Amino acid sequence: MSESNDDFYLRYYVGHKGKFGHEFLEFEFRPDGKLRYANNSNYKKDTLIRKEVYVNRAVIEELKRIVNESDIMKEDDAVWPPQDRTGRQELEIVLGDEHISFTTAKIGSLIDINNSRDPDGLRCFYYLVQDLKCFVFSLIGLHFKIQPI
Amino acid sequence: MSNADVEVEVQDEDETMDNPNDIIVGDHDEDDAINQVKSNARHRKGRGFNEQSDRLAMQTGDYDTITNDSDSGNPGPARSVEGWILFITNVHEEAQEDNMFDLFRDYGNIKNMHLNLDRRTGYAKGYALVEYETFKEAKEALEGINGQDLLGHTLHVDWAFVKGPLKKRGTGNSSSRKATTGTGRTTYQRR
Repeated sequence: MSESNDDFYLRYYVGHKGKFGHEFLEFEFRPDGKLRYANNSNYKKDTLIRKEVYVNRAVIEELKRIVNESDIMKEDDAVWPPQDRTGRQELEIVLGDEHISFTTAKIGSLIDINNSRDPDGLRCFYYLVQDLKCFVFSLIGLHFKIQPI
Repeated sequence: MSNADVEVEVQDEDETMDNPNDIIVGDHDEDDAINQVKSNARHRKGRGFNEQSDRLAMQTGDYDTITNDSDSGNPGPARSVEGWILFITNVHEEAQEDNMFDLFRDYGNIKNMHLNLDRRTGYAKGYALVEYETFKEAKEALEGINGQDLLGHTLHVDWAFVKGPLKKRGTGNSSSRKATTGTGRTTYQRR
């Protein structure tokens, strides 16, 4: 096994169980470049979208850059708001030797962040998640010609 | 292959393997690869290792995918529903859609362009996607613009999507790099 470890894996989940059932959005980038995307929204009508496609190395490298520059690997979810009725978020990333698996409640707005016990860490998480969603929605939306969400 | 000799520090990490519903034939090698990557990591952090996940979607069911009849497992760019999509990196944070548009329209009719913004700063995040209808347009744009300068940054242009899994980088580092860029300009053919 090589010493310099450039392993990468990323997964994000957000969802809740309510009167429309289990509604969620999830995506992951696998080590072989496979991007998987799943979105279940039961509002109005049942729609479960599941898509997968292989992305090129350049896409993975850009994603690694975004994760790296966010400094998320230095954060810790220990005092972030735990999941509640409104739902749950999960962010799991392997970046070389570091493996994080963070969970927290849904974040409604910046006010939630400022009132939390770790505003800096939660803000880091919040903006990274927005950038990741934007990244994935562009890839999936353009490749499959769908409007994610 | 075998995880027996791999030290697993966090038990809950393997929770997905314990659920009989999770077993999907054909995905095992990929799941092995994910578990391998996870067990290679030396430092773990987060409550997710000790909590039950709500996620179900990734483990069950089929995923839609786009297949071309020219797919034969060989590497190379993959066609999207309506065209061919390029992925551009090292884009200057002050780049505007106009800059990108002017650059790429010389190579054909741009069907779509995404220049995504950093949600915190509002400036360009550093990457863009550009779609052309034909392979020829996209390939010429790739070759013509890759390495060009925009606002002092050297643009890197590559295909966004490929037809199969990426090769592990560990074996022959430099050659796999070359192969990635090479796919844009050599043997790929489409009727």
